[in-house]
Amino acid sequence: MKLIQDMEIKDKNEISEDANSRVYELGYLLVPTIAGENIPAVYGDLKDVITTNFKGEIISDEMPKQMTLAYSMLKVVSNVRSKFDSAYFGWVKFNMDPEQIVELKKHLDLDPNIIRFLIIKTVKENTIATKRFVERSRGVKRTFTVKKSDEALTPIDKEEVDKEIDALIAN
Amino acid sequence: MKQDYFSANNIKYIDYKDTDILKRFLNGNGKIMSHKRTGVTSKNQRQLTSAIKHARFLGLLPFVVK
Repeated sequence: MKLIQDMEIKDKNEISEDANSRVYELGYLLVPTIAGENIPAVYGDLKDVITTNFKGEIISDEMPKQMTLAYSMLKVVSNVRSKFDSAYFGWVKFNMDPEQIVELKKHLDLDPNIIRFLIIKTVKENTIATKRFVERSRGVKRTFTVKKSDEALTPIDKEEVDKEIDALIAN
Repeated sequence: MKQDYFSANNIKYIDYKDTDILKRFLNGNGKIMSHKRTGVTSKNQRQLTSAIKHARFLGLLPFVVK
């Protein structure tokens, strides 16, 4: 009985945790003027801010990667306007209290390294599915080609066998 | 595309980072294709539009292709 009671209590705790925190995703563009070697440091700092300052729990993330932007963006830092055509794009998925997320947004607004960022509500599961499909469809095509080659090979074999039999009979 | 692409491929959550998928639903000028042309269910079309708009904001997709 004790065990069952413990289990129930645990379940209740989990539910209450879920109710207090939500899954969010932060997508951000880092300024391209940062050198490639310094990117891991900036990325680590950002994750630290989420986990320590705002008590978030990181679920998954991806390293910022250099990319060309679809259009040029402007950012004003201390009255200097700068135009960007490329950036480092990265994202982090995490659990956080809805009250904390507002504070996180205020913090990120003041970050000079970030051109733009986007915070959205999302689900815990992995949502990127592209790679899987491409592989699957390729796999299917490959199997078809293999089958065709097998079919093409078999009749040749039969003919050869027939010839061999004919030769044997002639002998 | 007559059938719903997302339910056919078992995609429950349309991610703004999947630009390869999202690009299928843009026309030559970078505009979002209509519900009539995509054949996507209403629920997924709404998710799709917001995903495309998020991707545009972060420069992953263009607002206009000249």
